[in-house]
Amino acid sequence: AATAYEEHGRKRRKDWIKLIYSSSLTPEQILQGDAPGQEQQGGDEDDFFTVKSKGTVGDAEEVLDMTKEKVDAEALKAWEDEELLDSIRNLFITGGSGSGDAE
Amino acid sequence: MAQPVTVLHFSGHQYLRHRLVLSILSGKPVKIDKIRPDDKNPGLRDYEVSLLRLLERVTNGTVIEISVTGTALLVKPGIIAGGTVVHECPLSRSIGYFLEPIVMLAPFSKKPLQLTLRGITSDDRDLSADLIRTVTLPHLQLFGISEGLELRIKKRGAAPLGGGEVQFLCPVVKQVKTLNFVDRGRIKRIRGIAHAVRVSPQFSNRMIEAARSVLNRYIPDIYLYSDVYKGEDSGKSPGYALSLLAESTTGAMHSAEAVSVPGGAPEDVALTASRALLSEIRRGGCVDKQHQVLVLLMMVLGSEDVGRCLMGEPTLRTIQFLRDVHQTFGTSFKIVPADKSDPESTELLFSCYGTGYVNANRTLA
Repeated sequence: AATAYEEHGRKRRKDWIKLIYSSSLTPEQILQGDAPGQEQQGGDEDDFFTVKSKGTVGDAEEVLDMTKEKVDAEALKAWEDEELLDSIRNLFITGGSGSGDAE
Repeated sequence: MAQPVTVLHFSGHQYLRHRLVLSILSGKPVKIDKIRPDDKNPGLRDYEVSLLRLLERVTNGTVIEISVTGTALLVKPGIIAGGTVVHECPLSRSIGYFLEPIVMLAPFSKKPLQLTLRGITSDDRDLSADLIRTVTLPHLQLFGISEGLELRIKKRGAAPLGGGEVQFLCPVVKQVKTLNFVDRGRIKRIRGIAHAVRVSPQFSNRMIEAARSVLNRYIPDIYLYSDVYKGEDSGKSPGYALSLLAESTTGAMHSAEAVSVPGGAPEDVALTASRALLSEIRRGGCVDKQHQVLVLLMMVLGSEDVGRCLMGEPTLRTIQFLRDVHQTFGTSFKIVPADKSDPESTELLFSCYGTGYVNANRTLA
């Protein structure tokens, strides 16, 4: 049902400090969970001319400096699922389930 | 001022706002190149230039140099002056785009800032004026910035024509407090503001009803306010939006909002906003993802003590911000899983040693 969220949960734990401060991965790569060792070496500079990376020459949608992330309608659809709706009940004061503190 | 000036160097058009903020706060000049070099329409956009003009007005002595092609930029920051400023925001971005960086700077100005911004009050890219008022400003209170802090929404303005007006009042502080916010508590109430301008006022009620259909199952303490603006005050374009805010027993806030799309139904807007709020709550932490950058910045500027805050996973912006902060202030955060025993938990504990930033502009007064 809530595939998007399950995927989110089962991600193995990341070493955020290392990823952020001592890797050259882009923020996108960090969040997508590329393993740190896998950076493309950008190596073999054999050909003198290299094709400019895709670029935004076309009318492709530009990545804007914006605070709100694009709403992912698919991910939100997951909330139609009763199980998922119930799964966060314990985060509310009315949510019972004993253990007074978070989680 | 005898030491050699280090110039911060960044590339690309992204993250422009927080980089400018870091430059101004640290007093270090910033050079940004490769601004859309391969674009059909290279260089800075009108709203970015407008933002630079706004920062120039809020500060005193800032020198901005833009290359002929507009693809490179050098800013030598002056002091943050504050005072009364009026700014017309271009219609390509909402007021939130301009207000967010200002909120980070204003507490450190020489004189209290009184800023009037005109333009679009809510869109789907940046925080709406409602969320800035109800969520962003209370976050500043965590750091001891509270008295006289206010955002007045005088007129609303929906895209594309805008016509809205807000007034932002911010007091001056000497130093911000160290944050220690590690208990997110449990959600105790949900508040919301629905507004509809130049469309049937019934739309507000429809949004409220739809949002309740999702949220009522959790908690009875839900108050969704229908904010009515009439005539001149409702801007030049039709539009409606719903912003939601969940508050926990410890004062942690999670927010979400959605705005109308042409041809859409108010129910859809409300469902999007409500579900986005639930996603936000599920991410956990004491701060929602839209406010991570603001809170982390204030933690860096905090007094020389260890500040701690519980958050969900960092966003793209946050990751880049952490790197840029490291370059600017040399501060790095310690980021550890909040709950080591639970491998499912994605909550993280961010901590750092504050730089003890003192508002030097103020002491000059």
